[in-house]
Amino acid sequence: TGAKPTSLGSAGPSVLANARHIDDFSAVNYPEGISSPITENAPALNKPRHYSRDFLLQFMDVCKDKPDNLPPLEILGLQPESYQIARGGSNR
Amino acid sequence: EEVDMQQQAENIRTVFNDPTNFNVKHPLFSAWTLWFDSPATKGRNMPQTPMTSFPQTPVPQTPGGLASAAQGWMEDIKRVISFDSVEEFWGMYNNIVPPSNLPQRANYYLFKEGIIPAWEDDANKNGGKWSIQLPKDKNRPNVDKMWLYTMLAAIGETFDPVLANAENPDDAPQSLITGVIVSTRPQFYRLSIWTRSAPQATGTDEDNKLKERVEAIGRHFKVNVLGYQSNAKLHAPLATEVEFLSHKDSDKKGKQARKIIV
Repeated sequence: TGAKPTSLGSAGPSVLANARHIDDFSAVNYPEGISSPITENAPALNKPRHYSRDFLLQFMDVCKDKPDNLPPLEILGLQPESYQIARGGSNR
Repeated sequence: EEVDMQQQAENIRTVFNDPTNFNVKHPLFSAWTLWFDSPATKGRNMPQTPMTSFPQTPVPQTPGGLASAAQGWMEDIKRVISFDSVEEFWGMYNNIVPPSNLPQRANYYLFKEGIIPAWEDDANKNGGKWSIQLPKDKNRPNVDKMWLYTMLAAIGETFDPVLANAENPDDAPQSLITGVIVSTRPQFYRLSIWTRSAPQATGTDEDNKLKERVEAIGRHFKVNVLGYQSNAKLHAPLATEVEFLSHKDSDKKGKQARKIIV
């Protein structure tokens, strides 16, 4: 189905929160077109020491769901400039 | 045995194999915390309920070491989130406000977990920072990508290649990077990279090696992260070169400060 478990919110920890850390990268099958961090990380296969920008950018359009532990931004006072102006809350 | 391997691989699902039902994530070498402040966070207390489950800004317990100056400094800086995987980083990134859209006088601080974004932290007190200042009008279209690439170099640990080059996988040396910052001001943006140590120009072999290592971080920042030619002159009205200053020298300002420029 197309339902996203992580968007149900109150239904417990998200898929993101429940996923465990990869501990052996040689056991991971990446789909075609996705580069593995192994080639750039030998000899530290169990715990990669570094990830290249190109490797990291592959996740940009895939990991869109809000993490469970990200507080609502208005609580933090972290809002876009346009929002504050629209609300008359600009500090200028 | 081949069947077992196949079975094992099918039970390990990355976000690429199954975006809605993955069961593994990619660990970062360090855990990181994102902090934020702006005029809107000043004096703002986190609501007592029902949000008590969200992390409060911690006041580090130090035996008189962390000056009250740092506590005052940290009072208005809010902890946004901590994460230790690539997937969580992007979940955060895709759900917060990019620098180009932040109000004036706002800052994001992305620091290794356990290090507060203040000079007074033990990890920062002997260090310094690489920074660049960019005029706002010309760089509004660039600043989001520059900040993203700065964060990716930080969490991917590519600023300081000692980690990647270490021979012994169980005995990794400590990276010089403690955190990265983006600041929005009325007329410019500033990007900074904080280091654990700063060369003292003592002329010892050790200090010279540290200087080389720090300079390599600055060159990587200028060329690979920000995308400038290595020989580009960046100084202009409201713009600086990519320059390094120790936190101790930042205090002095002016003549005594020893700047390194790449």
